[in-house]
Amino acid sequence: MNSVGEECTDMKREYDQCFNRWFAEKFLKGECSGDPCTELFRRYRDCVQKAIKDKDIPVDGVDFMGPSKSKTESDGSS
Amino acid sequence: MLLLSHWLGTTVLLGYFKLRVGPKLSSTCHPWDTVIKAAMRKYPNPMNPCVVGVDVVDRNLDPQGRLHSQRLLCTEWGLPSLVRAILGTNRTLTYIKEHSVVDPIEKKMVLCSTNISLTNLVSVDERLVYTPHPENPEETVLTQEAIITVKGVSLSSYLEGLMASTISSNARKGWDAIEWIIQNSESTVS
Repeated sequence: MNSVGEECTDMKREYDQCFNRWFAEKFLKGECSGDPCTELFRRYRDCVQKAIKDKDIPVDGVDFMGPSKSKTESDGSS
Repeated sequence: MLLLSHWLGTTVLLGYFKLRVGPKLSSTCHPWDTVIKAAMRKYPNPMNPCVVGVDVVDRNLDPQGRLHSQRLLCTEWGLPSLVRAILGTNRTLTYIKEHSVVDPIEKKMVLCSTNISLTNLVSVDERLVYTPHPENPEETVLTQEAIITVKGVSLSSYLEGLMASTISSNARKGWDAIEWIIQNSESTVS
Protein backbone atom coordinates (compact mmCIF):
# COMPACT_ATOMS: atom_id res chain seq x y z
CA MET A 1 0.00 0.00 0.00
CA ASN A 2 1.28 3.42 -0.94
CA SER A 3 1.61 6.57 1.10
CA VAL A 4 -0.26 9.75 0.09
CA GLY A 5 3.21 11.16 -0.49
CA GLU A 6 4.91 9.03 -3.14
CA GLU A 7 8.29 9.94 -1.71
CA CYS A 8 7.23 8.50 1.70
CA THR A 9 6.20 5.04 0.48
CA ASP A 10 9.56 3.35 1.15
CA MET A 11 9.70 4.83 4.66
CA LYS A 12 6.11 3.73 5.24
CA ARG A 13 6.86 0.14 4.23
CA GLU A 14 9.92 -0.01 6.45
CA TYR A 15 7.94 1.36 9.38
CA ASP A 16 4.89 -0.87 8.74
CA GLN A 17 7.09 -3.95 8.73
CA CYS A 18 8.67 -2.97 12.05
CA PHE A 19 5.31 -2.01 13.59
CA ASN A 20 3.43 -5.12 12.44
CA ARG A 21 6.07 -7.36 13.98
CA TRP A 22 6.01 -5.50 17.32
CA PHE A 23 2.20 -5.37 17.31
CA ALA A 24 1.78 -9.11 16.69
CA GLU A 25 4.69 -10.44 18.71
CA LYS A 26 4.76 -8.09 21.69
CA PHE A 27 1.79 -5.75 22.03
CA LEU A 28 -1.06 -8.22 21.51
CA LYS A 29 0.68 -10.68 23.84
CA GLY A 30 0.57 -8.08 26.60
CA GLU A 31 4.33 -7.39 26.60
CA CYS A 32 4.32 -3.66 27.01
CA SER A 33 7.94 -3.11 26.19
CA GLY A 34 8.34 0.17 24.37
CA ASP A 35 7.64 0.42 20.66
CA PRO A 36 11.02 -0.15 18.96
CA CYS A 37 9.89 1.58 15.75
CA THR A 38 9.70 5.16 17.03
CA GLU A 39 12.72 6.39 15.08
CA LEU A 40 11.41 4.89 11.81
CA PHE A 41 7.99 6.38 12.60
CA ARG A 42 9.36 9.86 13.24
CA ARG A 43 11.11 9.88 9.88
CA TYR A 44 8.05 8.54 8.04
CA ARG A 45 5.63 10.88 9.84
CA ASP A 46 7.71 13.95 9.01
CA CYS A 47 7.59 12.95 5.35
CA VAL A 48 3.80 12.37 5.43
CA GLN A 49 3.12 15.63 7.22
CA LYS A 50 5.00 17.49 4.53
CA ALA A 51 3.01 15.65 1.82
CA ILE A 52 -0.28 16.46 3.60
CA LYS A 53 0.71 20.12 3.69
CA ASP A 54 1.82 20.16 0.05
CA LYS A 55 -1.37 18.47 -1.13
CA ASP A 56 -3.52 20.65 1.12
CA ILE A 57 -5.34 17.70 2.71
CA PRO A 58 -7.60 19.11 5.46
CA VAL A 59 -6.60 16.76 8.29
CA ASP A 60 -6.52 19.33 11.08
CA GLY A 61 -9.42 19.99 13.39
CA VAL A 62 -11.19 16.73 12.75
CA ASP A 63 -12.29 15.20 16.01
CA PHE A 64 -13.15 11.71 15.16
CA MET A 65 -13.94 9.75 18.24
CA GLY A 66 -17.34 11.32 17.81
CA PRO A 67 -19.11 13.79 15.56
CA SER A 68 -17.05 16.89 14.95
CA LYS A 69 -18.21 20.27 16.20
CA SER A 70 -19.30 21.49 12.79
CA LYS A 71 -21.20 18.28 12.24
CA THR A 72 -22.94 18.69 15.60
CA GLU A 73 -23.94 22.20 14.67
CA SER A 74 -25.39 21.04 11.37
CA ASP A 75 -27.46 18.44 13.25
CA GLY A 76 -29.60 21.21 14.64
CA SER A 77 -30.98 22.13 11.25
CA SER A 78 -31.89 18.63 10.13
CA MET B 1 -36.53 19.64 3.52
CA LEU B 2 -37.69 21.24 0.33
CA LEU B 3 -38.48 19.48 -2.92
CA LEU B 4 -36.81 21.46 -5.67
CA SER B 5 -37.19 19.66 -8.94
CA HIS B 6 -37.15 16.45 -10.81
CA TRP B 7 -34.10 16.34 -13.00
CA LEU B 8 -32.90 13.46 -15.10
CA GLY B 9 -35.02 11.11 -13.03
CA THR B 10 -33.30 12.13 -9.83
CA THR B 11 -35.20 13.96 -7.16
CA VAL B 12 -33.17 16.95 -6.03
CA LEU B 13 -33.85 18.05 -2.47
CA LEU B 14 -32.51 20.83 -0.33
CA GLY B 15 -31.77 20.41 3.34
CA TYR B 16 -30.07 17.98 5.68
CA PHE B 17 -30.72 14.29 5.66
CA LYS B 18 -29.52 11.90 8.26
CA LEU B 19 -29.46 8.18 7.87
CA ARG B 20 -28.48 5.73 10.57
CA VAL B 21 -27.24 2.29 9.70
CA GLY B 22 -27.01 -0.34 12.42
CA PRO B 23 -25.86 -1.28 14.92
CA LYS B 24 -25.35 -4.50 13.03
CA LEU B 25 -23.67 -7.51 14.53
CA SER B 26 -21.76 -10.16 12.63
CA SER B 27 -19.11 -12.70 13.54
CA THR B 28 -16.25 -14.67 12.08
CA CYS B 29 -14.63 -17.97 13.03
CA HIS B 30 -11.22 -16.57 13.93
CA PRO B 31 -9.96 -15.61 17.39
CA TRP B 32 -9.77 -11.94 18.27
CA ASP B 33 -5.94 -11.69 18.09
CA THR B 34 -5.89 -13.05 14.53
CA VAL B 35 -8.65 -10.68 13.44
CA ILE B 36 -6.98 -7.62 15.01
CA LYS B 37 -3.63 -8.39 13.38
CA ALA B 38 -5.41 -8.59 10.03
CA ALA B 39 -7.52 -5.47 10.75
CA MET B 40 -4.39 -3.42 11.44
CA ARG B 41 -2.91 -4.35 8.08
CA LYS B 42 -6.15 -4.59 6.14
CA TYR B 43 -5.03 -2.59 3.10
CA PRO B 44 -4.34 -3.37 0.32
CA ASN B 45 -6.90 -6.11 -0.28
CA PRO B 46 -8.91 -7.06 -3.37
CA MET B 47 -12.25 -6.30 -1.64
CA ASN B 48 -11.40 -2.59 -1.20
CA PRO B 49 -9.69 -1.61 -4.45
CA CYS B 50 -10.84 2.00 -3.94
CA VAL B 51 -8.38 2.46 -1.04
CA VAL B 52 -5.25 3.69 -2.82
CA GLY B 53 -3.22 5.11 0.06
CA VAL B 54 -2.95 4.59 3.81
CA ASP B 55 -0.76 6.53 6.22
CA VAL B 56 -0.32 6.54 9.97
CA VAL B 57 -0.31 10.18 11.02
CA ASP B 58 -0.05 9.59 14.75
CA ARG B 59 0.31 6.63 17.06
CA ASN B 60 0.78 6.36 20.81
CA LEU B 61 0.18 4.22 23.89
CA ASP B 62 -2.09 5.72 26.56
CA PRO B 63 -1.54 5.22 30.33
CA GLN B 64 -3.95 2.24 30.25
CA GLY B 65 -1.70 0.50 27.72
CA ARG B 66 -4.11 0.97 24.80
CA LEU B 67 -2.68 1.71 21.37
CA HIS B 68 -4.18 4.72 19.59
CA SER B 69 -3.58 5.07 15.85
CA GLN B 70 -4.68 7.94 13.66
CA ARG B 71 -4.62 7.02 10.00
CA LEU B 72 -5.31 8.85 6.79
CA LEU B 73 -6.93 6.82 4.01
CA CYS B 74 -7.01 7.98 0.43
CA THR B 75 -9.85 6.48 -1.59
CA GLU B 76 -10.69 6.72 -5.26
CA TRP B 77 -14.44 6.78 -5.78
CA GLY B 78 -15.98 5.16 -8.79
CA LEU B 79 -18.72 7.77 -9.15
CA PRO B 80 -20.40 7.87 -12.55
CA SER B 81 -19.58 10.99 -14.54
CA LEU B 82 -23.22 12.15 -14.35
CA VAL B 83 -23.08 12.18 -10.56
CA ARG B 84 -19.72 13.94 -10.62
CA ALA B 85 -21.28 16.59 -12.85
CA ILE B 86 -24.26 17.03 -10.52
CA LEU B 87 -22.00 17.25 -7.47
CA GLY B 88 -19.95 19.78 -9.37
CA THR B 89 -16.68 18.09 -8.60
CA ASN B 90 -14.11 16.28 -10.60
CA ARG B 91 -12.34 15.22 -7.46
CA THR B 92 -12.65 11.52 -7.17
CA LEU B 93 -9.96 11.28 -4.51
CA THR B 94 -11.59 11.35 -1.10
CA TYR B 95 -9.69 11.37 2.17
CA ILE B 96 -10.87 9.57 5.26
CA LYS B 97 -9.50 9.95 8.77
CA GLU B 98 -9.58 6.94 11.03
CA HIS B 99 -8.92 6.63 14.77
CA SER B 100 -8.48 3.17 16.23
CA VAL B 101 -7.96 2.08 19.82
CA VAL B 102 -6.71 -1.41 20.57
CA ASP B 103 -6.99 -2.64 24.15
CA PRO B 104 -4.98 -5.88 24.43
CA ILE B 105 -6.11 -6.55 28.03
CA GLU B 106 -9.85 -6.07 27.54
CA LYS B 107 -9.52 -7.51 24.00
CA LYS B 108 -11.41 -4.76 22.28
CA MET B 109 -10.71 -2.73 19.17
CA VAL B 110 -12.76 0.38 18.37
CA LEU B 111 -12.35 2.04 15.00
CA CYS B 112 -14.03 5.33 14.10
CA SER B 113 -13.76 6.88 10.68
CA THR B 114 -15.06 9.99 8.97
CA ASN B 115 -14.51 11.56 5.57
CA ILE B 116 -12.55 14.80 5.50
CA SER B 117 -13.15 15.66 1.85
CA LEU B 118 -16.50 16.50 0.28
CA THR B 119 -17.72 17.31 3.80
CA ASN B 120 -19.86 20.13 2.42
CA LEU B 121 -21.86 17.44 0.61
CA VAL B 122 -21.84 14.37 2.74
CA SER B 123 -20.48 13.02 6.02
CA VAL B 124 -20.11 9.35 6.70
CA ASP B 125 -19.24 8.58 10.33
CA GLU B 126 -18.63 4.93 10.91
CA ARG B 127 -17.84 3.04 14.12
CA LEU B 128 -16.65 -0.55 14.24
CA VAL B 129 -16.03 -2.56 17.41
CA TYR B 130 -14.27 -5.92 17.40
CA THR B 131 -14.62 -8.10 20.53
CA PRO B 132 -14.25 -11.81 21.23
CA HIS B 133 -17.52 -13.75 21.06
CA PRO B 134 -18.85 -13.83 24.65
CA GLU B 135 -19.54 -17.57 24.50
CA ASN B 136 -16.90 -18.76 22.08
CA PRO B 137 -13.40 -17.24 22.32
CA GLU B 138 -12.50 -18.78 18.97
CA GLU B 139 -14.92 -16.36 17.30
CA THR B 140 -14.88 -12.57 16.94
CA VAL B 141 -17.90 -10.28 16.86
CA LEU B 142 -18.03 -7.07 14.84
CA THR B 143 -20.54 -4.36 15.75
CA GLN B 144 -20.96 -1.80 12.99
CA GLU B 145 -22.76 1.54 13.11
CA ALA B 146 -22.81 4.44 10.69
CA ILE B 147 -24.39 7.85 10.43
CA ILE B 148 -24.67 9.35 6.97
CA THR B 149 -25.47 13.05 6.75
CA VAL B 150 -26.19 14.49 3.33
CA LYS B 151 -25.98 18.28 3.30
CA GLY B 152 -27.25 20.92 0.96
CA VAL B 153 -28.40 19.31 -2.23
CA SER B 154 -29.47 15.74 -1.84
CA LEU B 155 -29.75 13.32 -4.72
CA SER B 156 -32.34 11.36 -2.85
CA SER B 157 -32.84 8.57 -5.30
CA TYR B 158 -29.17 7.99 -5.81
CA LEU B 159 -26.69 9.18 -3.26
CA GLU B 160 -28.21 8.07 0.03
CA GLY B 161 -29.13 4.74 -1.49
CA LEU B 162 -25.60 4.32 -2.74
CA MET B 163 -24.17 5.25 0.64
CA ALA B 164 -26.54 3.05 2.63
CA SER B 165 -26.00 0.03 0.43
CA THR B 166 -22.25 0.63 0.44
CA ILE B 167 -22.20 0.79 4.25
CA SER B 168 -24.42 -2.29 4.53
CA SER B 169 -22.31 -4.33 2.17
CA ASN B 170 -19.17 -3.18 3.96
CA ALA B 171 -19.74 -5.49 6.92
CA ARG B 172 -19.55 -8.56 4.67
CA LYS B 173 -16.81 -6.99 2.57
CA GLY B 174 -14.88 -6.15 5.75
CA TRP B 175 -14.93 -9.76 6.89
CA ASP B 176 -13.99 -10.94 3.39
CA ALA B 177 -11.03 -8.56 3.43
CA ILE B 178 -9.90 -9.70 6.89
CA GLU B 179 -10.27 -13.34 5.82
CA TRP B 180 -8.16 -12.59 2.73
CA ILE B 181 -5.45 -10.94 4.85
CA ILE B 182 -5.43 -13.88 7.29
CA GLN B 183 -5.14 -16.40 4.45
CA ASN B 184 -2.48 -14.41 2.64
CA SER B 185 -0.27 -13.39 5.52
CA GLU B 186 0.23 -16.66 7.42
CA SER B 187 3.45 -17.38 5.57
CA THR B 188 4.89 -13.89 6.04
CA VAL B 189 6.36 -12.61 9.28
CA SER B 190 5.45 -8.95 9.00
